[in-house]
Amino acid sequence: MGKLPSGEKILSCIQCGMCSGSCPLGYAMDYTPRRMISALRAGRIEDLYRSDAIWLCVSCFNCTFRCPVGVQITDRLIAGLRVDLLSRGVGVPSELATAFERTARYGNPFGESPKKRDAWTKDAGVDIRVVRDGDSAEVLWWVGCFGSYNKRNQKDSVALARILTALDVDFGILGSDERCSGDLPCSSQGEEGLFYELHQKNMQEFAKRKFKTVLVGDPHAYNAFNKEYPRLGTPLPVRHHTQFLADRAPELRRQMRKEIRMKVTYHDACCLGRRNGEYEAPRIVLETIPGMKLLEMPRNRENALCCGGGGGANWLDSFIWQRTRVPLPMQRVQEAAKTGAEILAVSCPLEIPRFEDAVKSAGLEGRLKVLDVSHMVADGMGLLGGT
Amino acid sequence: MIPREVVVVAEHVAGELSDITLEMLTCAREVAFPLGWHVTCLILVDDPKPFQALPLASDRTLIVTDAPLGSFNPAAYTRVLLHLLKDLSPRLVLLGNTSVGMDLAGTLSLGLGAPVVSGCTRIRGEGERLSFTSKLCGGKLLARTDVGDGLAIALVMPGSYNRELGMVDRVPPVEIRASPVSLEALPVRFLELVEPKTEDVDITKVPILVGAGRGIQSRENLKAVEDLAEALGGAVCATRPVVDQRWLPRTRQVGRSGMTVKPRLYLALGVSGAPEHVEGMKGSDLIVAVNTDPDAPIFETAHYGTTVDVLELLPFLTERIRASRGR
Amino acid sequence: MKIAVILRQVPDVVQELVIAADGRSLAKDELTYITNEGDEHALEEALILKSRHAATVTAVSVGGDEARDALATAVAKGADEALLVSIPLERRGDNHGLAAYLAPAITSGGYDLVLTGVWAADQLDAGLAGLLAVQLSFPYVGGLTAVAVEPAGNRATVHKEFPGGRLGVMEVSLPAVLGIQSAEQPLRYASVSKISQAKRTMQVKEFRGSLPNVEGVHVSRLTKPEASAKADMLQGDASRVAETLVRILRERGLV
Repeated sequence: MGKLPSGEKILSCIQCGMCSGSCPLGYAMDYTPRRMISALRAGRIEDLYRSDAIWLCVSCFNCTFRCPVGVQITDRLIAGLRVDLLSRGVGVPSELATAFERTARYGNPFGESPKKRDAWTKDAGVDIRVVRDGDSAEVLWWVGCFGSYNKRNQKDSVALARILTALDVDFGILGSDERCSGDLPCSSQGEEGLFYELHQKNMQEFAKRKFKTVLVGDPHAYNAFNKEYPRLGTPLPVRHHTQFLADRAPELRRQMRKEIRMKVTYHDACCLGRRNGEYEAPRIVLETIPGMKLLEMPRNRENALCCGGGGGANWLDSFIWQRTRVPLPMQRVQEAAKTGAEILAVSCPLEIPRFEDAVKSAGLEGRLKVLDVSHMVADGMGLLGGT
Repeated sequence: MIPREVVVVAEHVAGELSDITLEMLTCAREVAFPLGWHVTCLILVDDPKPFQALPLASDRTLIVTDAPLGSFNPAAYTRVLLHLLKDLSPRLVLLGNTSVGMDLAGTLSLGLGAPVVSGCTRIRGEGERLSFTSKLCGGKLLARTDVGDGLAIALVMPGSYNRELGMVDRVPPVEIRASPVSLEALPVRFLELVEPKTEDVDITKVPILVGAGRGIQSRENLKAVEDLAEALGGAVCATRPVVDQRWLPRTRQVGRSGMTVKPRLYLALGVSGAPEHVEGMKGSDLIVAVNTDPDAPIFETAHYGTTVDVLELLPFLTERIRASRGR
Repeated sequence: MKIAVILRQVPDVVQELVIAADGRSLAKDELTYITNEGDEHALEEALILKSRHAATVTAVSVGGDEARDALATAVAKGADEALLVSIPLERRGDNHGLAAYLAPAITSGGYDLVLTGVWAADQLDAGLAGLLAVQLSFPYVGGLTAVAVEPAGNRATVHKEFPGGRLGVMEVSLPAVLGIQSAEQPLRYASVSKISQAKRTMQVKEFRGSLPNVEGVHVSRLTKPEASAKADMLQGDASRVAETLVRILRERGLV
């Protein structure tokens, strides 16, 4: 246990079971977080290595958030066990191994060419500057792997680009010099070596450019820059796009052109909410859209249900499904539909495909739309023509 | 004098010539005919019966028999071929760019002092010179190569030539010989041929196939592919990498060393179009390819193509097909 | 038992391939390399054999500087020894030359089994494995999906793939060269920290010899496949494409 980071915190566990009770997949784990700790204390670490429970964690941070003595279960205990398993080279589900290999080689988990990272900008309809070595920009926008490569997310990247242009922000992107931030799938999945490598490369790229703010759309990149990079001695002035836009709410309101008479409910991304404490910014931004009515799901803010895709679980859907049979995103879209909302607003790129698929599986098509907050703002500002 | 003969080394399994043999015969004829050369189809086998009355598109069929030649054995084949080819002294020897031809090429090349060109999709005789076109790097490159005046060996990429033209309406002169060399004490022994397991769907008999490639990204996404196949009344098959990931059984693999399929519709999803896959499906009546890379080689084979994201397209397509069927 | 695995560096086709000004080769500056996929499977098969027998696995990596990284990955995955064989870019894909060059290094190692991929992405002449077998006077079988070694260590039983999903079961006397099509299990994962640890601690032997001059095949022209035979590309977003596609299928009586 001493080998595990913050092992001393683990020793302070009072075995209250709050973690296991609050885990959305705890019932499917032979070793819940509480039992993991008790096994560790009993020196039975080998039992944990034989269990699948370690790969069932979806990094929702419920356990960490609720632990009365502050054990960092998600970021340290689970991640630490995964680091150990990886270093032994056993038990890594092959889907995840492929994502790691691609991230190590190409800087993104999809195995796409790094040179094509900014290919989406061609059809953006606005000028998107690539900030090169030695250049500067007020806002350095870290587009992220999903926003850069995933077709379902590229539209939201375009929407944000248009908003930034309309707000007259001096912004630029890193183009093909950008790589995975490392938070997803690397750090919380135990691929610490890969995370350190990406951190080093990314910091080198940051150092070559002058900027005041790093803007991100992916809460996982936000977490990496907000928490993990500082832990390694390299703090970054990072803002999630919902925070960045909330700071400019009055200006947004002035630029709104269109009423959107829709009922909207907002899903708190675990990585932005419980993990980083940001619940209000997305709501402030949504409130700037005229005509929109914001409804809350019963489980909101720190109680929000996870989409099931965090911490690399996005690559482990079938692994987790085989062992749990509970589709978290499906439960969540049903909760959203029950509020009477027509739009499920999200602030994390993973949630777009996850919830869109769940909407179809739950038979809610035509009743519930999944949209990124930035997409809705751009719509209200009348910026979505031609997309 | 420059030799004026093309020898096709036949491939056969369980008493039947493989498609590649007929394709090589078409290739050989295309090279030999304008130059007035002669084509020999060389069949190594234990029992000549199934092969002696075939109307092959060659000027003669030469069958060499011996017990160890019943099933493919690289050690037996190379021993016989080295001997025979020295005798025949042809200008060009054609092998399949297959698991069989690739076993032979190296030994024949070094044993006969002949260059080898692999992955050939086209061979031309220009004057008396031979020029070869090969696919490289997963079909992303084409290389043109020339060789000297002596014997050359070419590995013909399956699916490059029309196999129908490898048969004609007459039986060429057939010559049957015993193996000219002893085939004892071989370092390789053939033990048995294992037929594919039949519990699973036979994808060669399904009229509509949905082929999944690496672009499908994860095992989880196969569900949506299966839904589409079900809506279409077809089955899911896959490229080798998908099968290697154990996402689907071997029986679903299309391409070299997998199945060769010729359905009425082949829907290639996230398939790049590497030659080893394409050779197994290019004979399909209608090919539709979905791949975000506009330069993916699959679009050379497909009749219709689109660069929309496959995961985005799948639900729309499944839904519309269901609606269309419901009508 | 001693097993050698030959790992080759081939152009990575995820990156765009650019043809050089001479029209016969790839532009060096634009190239990135990746370990040949079949060779990765050969390494996996060797490590599977190592887990079943008392075997040592030597990774023999062929290429430029990037071949060192392939060695580190191999060692991180479980290879016992690392041998680097540097060859200039111009000689990549010339398997006749490479086989002759490698033969003495393999001979002096006294290996029972030499495994490599049955095929390389940039291969223009015959496969390396078959040529190497001739140079070593070893038997050769390729296109394999499984290898089992008899306890006495003088024979291997292999599964060879044939078209139509058929498998040939064959027996090969050792020592032998085997061409691997795919390993019995999915490739194992080596974490980045294990790879960097291997980079720091592994002992790399370097093989130096003079590349033999072999009269092989010459590329006279390298091109990208023509666009003429291109598919009819359907335009619009996913919904539009789906609509068009269903119309096409309906016209052909497929739905």
